[in-house]
Amino acid sequence: MNCDECKNLIGVFMDNELGENQASDVRMHLAFCPECAHVCEDLTSILDVCKTESPAEIVPPNSQALWCRINNIIESEGKPAPAPVVEPRGRFWRLSFMQLTAVVLFIAVVSSGVTFVAIRKYIQPVADDFMARSAATQTTFEKVLSKLGLAETPMQARERQTKERVAMIDYWNSRVQARRVQWDRATREAFDRNLRVIDESVNDYTMILQQDPEDDLSGEMLDSVLNDKVNLLRDFSDL
Amino acid sequence: MIFRLKSLFWLSWAAKTTILLSVVFFLALFAGDASAQKRFSKNYPAGQNVRLQLMNRTGTVTVIGWNRAEINITADLEAPAAIIVPQNLSGTIVINLVRDNQGRGEVGSVNFTIRVPFSSMVDIETKIGNLSVTNIRSGLVRARISSEGDITLTNIESTAVSAENGIGDIFFDGEIQEGGNYRFSSMSGSINIRIPFNSSFRVVATAPSTRNISFGSCANANMSYLGDGRRVIGRCGEGSATMTATNQRGVIKFLAR
Repeated sequence: MNCDECKNLIGVFMDNELGENQASDVRMHLAFCPECAHVCEDLTSILDVCKTESPAEIVPPNSQALWCRINNIIESEGKPAPAPVVEPRGRFWRLSFMQLTAVVLFIAVVSSGVTFVAIRKYIQPVADDFMARSAATQTTFEKVLSKLGLAETPMQARERQTKERVAMIDYWNSRVQARRVQWDRATREAFDRNLRVIDESVNDYTMILQQDPEDDLSGEMLDSVLNDKVNLLRDFSDL
Repeated sequence: MIFRLKSLFWLSWAAKTTILLSVVFFLALFAGDASAQKRFSKNYPAGQNVRLQLMNRTGTVTVIGWNRAEINITADLEAPAAIIVPQNLSGTIVINLVRDNQGRGEVGSVNFTIRVPFSSMVDIETKIGNLSVTNIRSGLVRARISSEGDITLTNIESTAVSAENGIGDIFFDGEIQEGGNYRFSSMSGSINIRIPFNSSFRVVATAPSTRNISFGSCANANMSYLGDGRRVIGRCGEGSATMTATNQRGVIKFLAR
């Protein structure tokens, strides 16, 4: 018999209403379990008092308050013991000062790197971007970078692009000049005619852009004809 | 009698001289002609997805699609005759006269006529001269002239078409394929695009100098004129094909058929 079974039967046992076998088991348990024996003694003394004293003496002056206290005690004892405090999962962010400093430094380095790459990208736009970007299509971020001097304005980008094209033209033109003595007259004339037409277009767009630097279409066309000139020179440089 | 004999002698001498000069003249003429004009001809068996890649120096190139599984190349070579070494590189016929005649100085024009299967991809280029492509229904038709010459593309049903020249006209007559890409670019000349009236595509047409862009029956409310009419952006129908036409100093015309 365990303690719970004993406590369940102890009231009946004290009233002598248990069978012989069960009563024997309860006795055996009380003999070896001091806790249950203590409960049994308490109950016995209560019963003795009830038997010896008159009811008026037993009832306390404020019996209702007493029962409330008893009730509270029973309820508090009946509540399950509070679960042991377990560290909740996901509290990995509970970091030491050093760890926190390291994390902040890491974030700062990564964000600086991303910003640097972004600025570099805007400073050196690829050809397609150059064609697509203009003062009108500039984002606020680009405008801010331009004002801060961190990125080129579309006009600066166009000037840089034109300079690059002119450098390429010079290179291919020197190669053409070295080869053209071997060409026949018809080839020379055809080449010169085409070069003349391209140069006329270059001059036209250059003049338009001098008058209206914001004319994106002329900027785009200037880049296009300069590219055509590079292609013409390159194509004829291997004849 | 004496006068008659003298006259006969004189006539005989004049006739002889005339005959002799004529013979010399014709001999010189035909001999010169024979040395100036050479002919090249070669056939290649070809599958349906063959690709022709030709780089000419000067001269005309005519490519015609035909209903045979072979490529026929013929070329008339003017003096000094160019060297032609066609190569068959795993389904691509490559003819590169620029490479084959590098460093030779003066080389005569070569006029090609090439017949290819209808479904061949055609990529032809020349420095000077006209290019013509007819009856092709493949994934690619590309024609480029470095300097001057006309480009004529007729009966083309390809998904990627590119025509580019310096001084000269571009004429395209074909069908716009769904999802296709069409690019026409000229420095000076006219670009004429003849397509079915119900063609469907998005277009960017730019003629900065002339501002002469005519859409004909393709014109609709979906066209936006930009830069004082130098560029037109718009769409005909709902198709996903894209077309770009740029003519620096000429006109662009769309013709319905």
